[in-house]
Amino acid sequence: MKSILSAPKSGSTVSKRPVWLVAFGSLVALVLINWFLQPSFFDGMVMHSNLTTFLPLTLVAIGQTFVIMGGDIDLSVGSIAALVNVVTVTVIAMAGGDAASVPIGLLTGLVVGVLCGVFNGLLISYLRLQPMVATFGTGIIFSALALWVMPQAGLSVPEVYWMTYSDFVLGVPTVLWILIAGFLFVLFMQRRPFESHLKAVGGNRAGAFQSGINMSFVRLLSFALCGLFSGFAALCLTGETASGDPLIGQSLAMGSISAVVLGGTMLSGGVGGAIGSIFGALLLGMIGNVIFFAGLPFEFQTLVQGLIVLAALAGGVLVARK
Amino acid sequence: MMKKWFLAATMLVAAGVSASVANAESFKIGLSNGWVGSEWRTQMIEEAQAAAEAWKDKGVDVEVVVQSGNVDAQGQVGQVRNFINQGVDAIIIDPNSPSAFNPVFAQAKRRGIMVVATDAEVSSKDAIYVGIDQKQWAYQSAKWLAETLDGKGNVVTINGVAGNPANEMRVAGYKEAFEAHPDIKVLNEANANWDQAQGQQAMQNLLATYPDIQGVWVQDGMAAGAWRSIMAADKASQIAATGEIRKDFMVTWKENGLNSAASVNPPGVMASALNVAVMKMQGKEFKDGIFGGVYGNAIYIPIPFIDNSNLDEKLEEAKDKPGYWSVTDVVTPEEAEEFFK
Repeated sequence: MKSILSAPKSGSTVSKRPVWLVAFGSLVALVLINWFLQPSFFDGMVMHSNLTTFLPLTLVAIGQTFVIMGGDIDLSVGSIAALVNVVTVTVIAMAGGDAASVPIGLLTGLVVGVLCGVFNGLLISYLRLQPMVATFGTGIIFSALALWVMPQAGLSVPEVYWMTYSDFVLGVPTVLWILIAGFLFVLFMQRRPFESHLKAVGGNRAGAFQSGINMSFVRLLSFALCGLFSGFAALCLTGETASGDPLIGQSLAMGSISAVVLGGTMLSGGVGGAIGSIFGALLLGMIGNVIFFAGLPFEFQTLVQGLIVLAALAGGVLVARK
Repeated sequence: MMKKWFLAATMLVAAGVSASVANAESFKIGLSNGWVGSEWRTQMIEEAQAAAEAWKDKGVDVEVVVQSGNVDAQGQVGQVRNFINQGVDAIIIDPNSPSAFNPVFAQAKRRGIMVVATDAEVSSKDAIYVGIDQKQWAYQSAKWLAETLDGKGNVVTINGVAGNPANEMRVAGYKEAFEAHPDIKVLNEANANWDQAQGQQAMQNLLATYPDIQGVWVQDGMAAGAWRSIMAADKASQIAATGEIRKDFMVTWKENGLNSAASVNPPGVMASALNVAVMKMQGKEFKDGIFGGVYGNAIYIPIPFIDNSNLDEKLEEAKDKPGYWSVTDVVTPEEAEEFFK
C-alpha cells in the first residue's frame, strides 16, 4: 500500500483540453432546453428534487470510473446497491429500528459494499477472470443474496434517516452536501499517485508492469472503491425510498457505464476521469426529464430516450476524434 | 321588437354558456407506469386516457400526462417527482414497489396532491388504492376449479414471480379456496414468472411428472401456455384449468370447448382509479369505513368472471378488437358514487 501511494507520478498524460468538456457542454444545452420546457427548473425545490433523483447514479458512476480507467468493467454495481440496501434496512430493524440503530446499519451496509467489490477484485485481478463475465456472475450472486436477506420489498427505516436525507443541513440540501463531497473526493484522488498508476495499468499494461506497479493490487483497489461507491448510492436510495427492495438498482449497471463513457472516459482504459462521469450521470438524468417535459406520447418515451443517449455517445466520439 | 327579444335571448344564452365555461372544473392528472412490455399495461393507460376524455361531457376538463417506461422503483420515484414539480392535481400510479414510495407520497400530500395507486397496493398512508383484491381474484377462480372437480382430485398450480406482493396475495387466495375442500390435493406449486413460454414449459414438466392431474390453477397469460401443453398432451378433455382474458385465448377456448374459467383483472383499473380521483377532487367525501385491505387504504372494485356460461358474450365484446385485447371493466363515475357520501 505504502509503496504505491509514495511512488513517483507516472503515466499521466497532459492533454490540451479536459476530456469532460463534451459532457459538460451537452449538460448545459440540456439544462437550457429543460429550462425552456419547464420554466420553474431553477426553483430551489425543483433543483433539490432533481438532484435527489440523479444522485445514486452519479455516485455509482464515480466508482465505475475507477474500474474502467484500469481497463476493467463492473456489471454488478446494481446488485451490490440492492444488497447494501436490504442489508442496511435489515440491520437497522434488527438493532431496534430507532434513530440510534441507524449508524450501525449504515456502517454494515458500506462494509458489505466494499466486501462485494473486493470479491470482484480478487476474482479478476488474482484469479484472472474476464471482468465482464465475472461481474455478470457475481451480480447474479449478489442479487440472489439480496433476495435471500429480504424476499419481499418492505421494512421501513426510522423517520430520522429519510427526513435528514430529504432535508437541509446548515441551510444546504443534504443531497448537495453529498454531491460536493463526491466532487472533492474525485479532485483529491486526481492528485494521488493511485489514479495515475490505475491509468497506467489500464492504458499500458506492459509499461506499468515494467515500472514496478503492483497491478493486481491497484485493480483490486479500484473494484473496492467501486463497491464502496455502490454502497454510498444504496444508502442514498434507502434515504429516498425509506425501505428495502431487493429488486432496486437494476438500471444502475448500464446507466453508470453510459455515464462514464459520456463523461469522456475510454472503455479501453487509461484515459478519462471521474469529473466527466459526474457530468455524464447528470446528463443522463436530464435526458429523462427533457423527454417528460417535452410531452411526448408515452408509446415513444423509451424509444426517444434511447436515441438521445445514442446520439450523445456518438457525438462525444465524433468530437473526440477531431 | 322581435329582434330585440331575440338579441336578449341570444345574450342570455351566451352569458349562460360563458358562465358555465368559466365554472368548468379542470384537473391535471399524472399517470405513472413503471413497466412496459405487456399489452395489458398499454391498454390500461389508453383506457385511462379515454376515461379522462369522457369527463368533458360532464363539463369537467381532465388533462392527463403520462410517464411510462421500464424503470426500477427509484426511477419511478423520479417520475412521481416530475409530476410534483409540474404541479399536477393528482397522481395515479401502477407502482413497482409496495413501500418505496412512502417518502415521495408524503411529499406529494404536503403539496396538496392526491395519490391513487392502482393494480398493486402500496403501504403509504398518504395514498389510497383503487383496484381489485388480488386475493379475492385468486379465490374466485380456485373456488370454480374446486367445484368443477366436485371437490376432489389432484391439482397443480403455476404462479408468477416468487416474492412479488401480488403473487403472494394470490397464493393465499387459492390456498384458502382449496382448504375448504379437503379432498383437493395440491401436488405441486411451480413458479413461471408470468411468462407464457415458461408457463408452457412448467406445464409440460408437470404433466410428465404427474400422470394423474385433474385440475390446474394458473395465473394470467401463463394460462395460454399451460393450455397449449395440455392440448399437446391430448388431455384437454380430462383436465379443468383456469384460463386468461385475452381475446386470442378466448377464441382458442371456444373453438376447443375447453373446461376453463378466468377471473378478470381488468386493464380498466387505472380508468376506475381516475374516475374516483376526479370525484374526490370535485369535493366529494369518502363514505366512512370504505377503506380496507392489508394497509387499510384500499377500495376494492368488482372482479368480473368468465366461464363457459358467458364466454360467448365476452367474445362478442371482443369482436372488433385485436387479439391481444383483454376483457375489461371500468367503474364509471355513476358506479363510483357508492364510494362517496
